[in-house]
Amino acid sequence: MTVYLDSAATTLEKPQSVPRAVAWAMTHLASPGRGGHAPGMRAGELMLRMRERAAAMFGVGDPERVVLTYNATHGLNIAIRSLVPPGGTAVISGYEHNAVTRPLWAIPEVKVRVAAGPLFDGDGVYAAFAREITPDVDAVICNHVSNVFGFIQPVDRIARLCRDRGVPLIVDASQSAGTLPVDLEGWGAAFVAMPGHKGLYGPQGTGLLLCGGEAQPLLYGGTGSLSVRQDMPEFLPDRLEAGTHNVCGAAGLLAGMEFVARTGAARIHARERALNGRLMDRLERIPGVTVFRGGENQSGLCSIVVGGLDCEEAGEALARRDIAVRSGLHCAPLAHRTAGTQDTGTIRLSFSAFSRPEHADRAAEAVRALAGQAAGRG
Amino acid sequence: MVYYLIICRSLTYAQRTAQVLERVGIPGYVQRSPKLISKEGCGYCVRVAERRLTDALTVLRREGMAPKQVFLQTAEGEYSEVKA
Repeated sequence: MTVYLDSAATTLEKPQSVPRAVAWAMTHLASPGRGGHAPGMRAGELMLRMRERAAAMFGVGDPERVVLTYNATHGLNIAIRSLVPPGGTAVISGYEHNAVTRPLWAIPEVKVRVAAGPLFDGDGVYAAFAREITPDVDAVICNHVSNVFGFIQPVDRIARLCRDRGVPLIVDASQSAGTLPVDLEGWGAAFVAMPGHKGLYGPQGTGLLLCGGEAQPLLYGGTGSLSVRQDMPEFLPDRLEAGTHNVCGAAGLLAGMEFVARTGAARIHARERALNGRLMDRLERIPGVTVFRGGENQSGLCSIVVGGLDCEEAGEALARRDIAVRSGLHCAPLAHRTAGTQDTGTIRLSFSAFSRPEHADRAAEAVRALAGQAAGRG
Repeated sequence: MVYYLIICRSLTYAQRTAQVLERVGIPGYVQRSPKLISKEGCGYCVRVAERRLTDALTVLRREGMAPKQVFLQTAEGEYSEVKA
């Protein structure tokens, strides 16, 4: 049986309630906001329950400010396009994903300043933001947790800086939603984007955008409201949800969020961190293996380099041993540049609520075997 | 029967309006807004019984959800806007 340690990409094992909810929605729910018949109204009720659940979990007072997206990237595109005009200025952390850097790159004449601090150095990251956030900045964008290293960035303090200096903040909660406190209104953030299919255990193709500020649509089309007008409605969620919803995905996402709420995000976080600690303890004892290890500010994932072995080669060798990991640059070349791993890439191992201690042990043993082979080859 | 139709900007808003009313024991039925009164196109409304309108408006105002438009629907299926 495959040891799945690629939950930072997507969680594979889901609570049983999730596929059940998706299957039920496929045959019982129609398009919400498009008809007055029972299947359509039931779909509308499910969408509202999903928004209310997310609002309660993530500090959003008004559930209408919870927007269903296709993934975190979709939400980040909306957020960035809403705040950063052509020629504008954005400040980003040194650990951002291409989901942030590519939408910025696509804005004509945009100026991007990187507030880069050393890996696992929260104070260093904070100091970098404190230097870079000036009144001319249109938006600050920061991930809560690095998808490459599991570095928990000091978002609470960065949010306070942004509030004090009157600069809108966008938080990418891709690696934290479902494990760490995410609080749109507490942070005073303009937007928080997250996927539905990682720590919230929903299906792929789902995400949420929490809106604290005014948002501009990325897609234009039918919303089932104000249909005579040719501009998009000004109110949420309709303004950002053109076209038929992914209702089946929303049903699965609701079931996933209910699982997280029942289990407790803090409990899931503690479990994942404990498994990650167990794994790193074993990996650190293997000659030739470099483990990027933080302290309390590391989530349930780690990156490693096996000396003398290309990271992609290592990933394939682990896959042949039924250990599923992610190798390469993890769509985050900036994070690798900041940490100094751009030339080698890393092998990332990441846990979920369904991971077990024997998964960490089997992965460590497989890496030990690979490192031994690499040493022999060298 | 005579009903009042509380016009809402979206299905989500109509559902939330009905929730607020139901919490204080006022039944509210979410339905499509009749085409005759939906000047801006498709939309939803919350239907309440004639005798509950005053209470409903009081509650909605208290919750910061005062409606923009309310219509009276007569037994003959005619509509007339009333002051909300």
